[in-house]
Amino acid sequence: MKYALYPGCVMPTEQYAYEMSIREVMPKLDVELVDLKGFSCCGEPIKSVNQMLTLTLSARNLAIAEKEGLDIFAPCPICHLALSECKRILDADPAMNERVNKFLEDEGLKYSGTSDIVSTIDLIHDKIGIEKIKKLVKKPLKDLKVATHNGCHLIRPSEIGRPDDSENPQKMDKILKAVGANPLDYPEKLDCCGGLLTANLPEAALTKTGQKLKGVQDQGFDAFIDTCPWCHRQYDSKQTKAGETVAAKLDVPVLYLTQILGLSFGISKDKLGLDLNLSPVEKLAVVGGK
Amino acid sequence: MSITDLTSMGEPQTEQRKEINERLRRLQDEISDYCYQCAKCTSGCEAHKLLELEPHKIVALLKRGLIDEMINSEIIWTCMSCFKCRERCPQKVAPVEILFALKNLAVASGKQIPGNYTAMLQSVLSIGLLQDVKSITTKDNKTKTRTDLGLPEISKPADPTKFQMMLSKIAVEKV
Repeated sequence: MKYALYPGCVMPTEQYAYEMSIREVMPKLDVELVDLKGFSCCGEPIKSVNQMLTLTLSARNLAIAEKEGLDIFAPCPICHLALSECKRILDADPAMNERVNKFLEDEGLKYSGTSDIVSTIDLIHDKIGIEKIKKLVKKPLKDLKVATHNGCHLIRPSEIGRPDDSENPQKMDKILKAVGANPLDYPEKLDCCGGLLTANLPEAALTKTGQKLKGVQDQGFDAFIDTCPWCHRQYDSKQTKAGETVAAKLDVPVLYLTQILGLSFGISKDKLGLDLNLSPVEKLAVVGGK
Repeated sequence: MSITDLTSMGEPQTEQRKEINERLRRLQDEISDYCYQCAKCTSGCEAHKLLELEPHKIVALLKRGLIDEMINSEIIWTCMSCFKCRERCPQKVAPVEILFALKNLAVASGKQIPGNYTAMLQSVLSIGLLQDVKSITTKDNKTKTRTDLGLPEISKPADPTKFQMMLSKIAVEKV
């Protein structure tokens, strides 16, 4: 399998652990990642300002991958939704398609709708498959009690073909079961991290984060697993601050799905960027030991 | 004749209402405006408890055409776009998309853009990304860059001038 890696903004400018773990884990799963030049923001975070901008930016990125004849792997659920929505609108509406393509002409690009878009979850669960994951496990995460967090954009709105079910997402749980962990449902599973409010209401964003993570901590989970760089920035990078908003001392190890998969495949923690996680990941036996 | 909102003496803006409905139809043909005010959207709204956003009221105000009241209010900027309202509406109304339309309208009519949105927009215009590459600090207080971590050079628009030219043309466009 071969995909153009569409990094987006947050992952390649600060959430390096996600990118590192993806670049380590995917080749092991026989996924070849191709780096292309010229990508820009997907436009979703500025959709509130001007949605036409979002549509054109997304179409532009899709056009870059199309030019190389490659499907797109977008690890960030926000990018994944923006690109999927853009594809859906432009493929259904010839007038909008023409309008957007007119803007792309300046850079010599053309959107024609030939590239598919996958996220971390459907790439691992649907394309690679659970059986292949099982074969690669060297260090099973024996009975590690984990809470999964999909991220809103990954599962909603379901009309725009999302990788997993909007009300009962289980694919990430199945992937984690395959490496020996014990993922359990919890009442806050579908709650939003608030991350997109960071632009104008950062305190409220942190409160959303704190509320969810406090629930996770109170229920005694060993770790919290996510796949979205925006969510991860909230739950991991800003965990201490998020705790202050709900008057709790939060102490939950937060890892990217690709990091925990990498650990179970026996990849060293340095290569997976685990020293970049600011949450207490060293509490986990699989991280602590050499 | 139209209904006047007696609390604010606000008059409905029929043209703007039509514009928003037209826009929603163009983007998602499955979205309807057959809201019967069941407030299921509000009961699941992530911004409701914390920031008092009530999506069903947004839909009602749109139906009345009281657009100015909404685009002059900060409440439209409290949506965290979790898409639960759109997902769960039994009538396929999408308050989240109405809110996007209202925010776009507020910006287009010259209202102040709140918080960091301006900075994000400027960054996208100048380098193509929401923010530039950061060096980050590890838990044991070491500073690391992409290069230190063995990551390849970041992907950005190759010709910033052409890229900016394209974006500046869209700045005045509406969906």
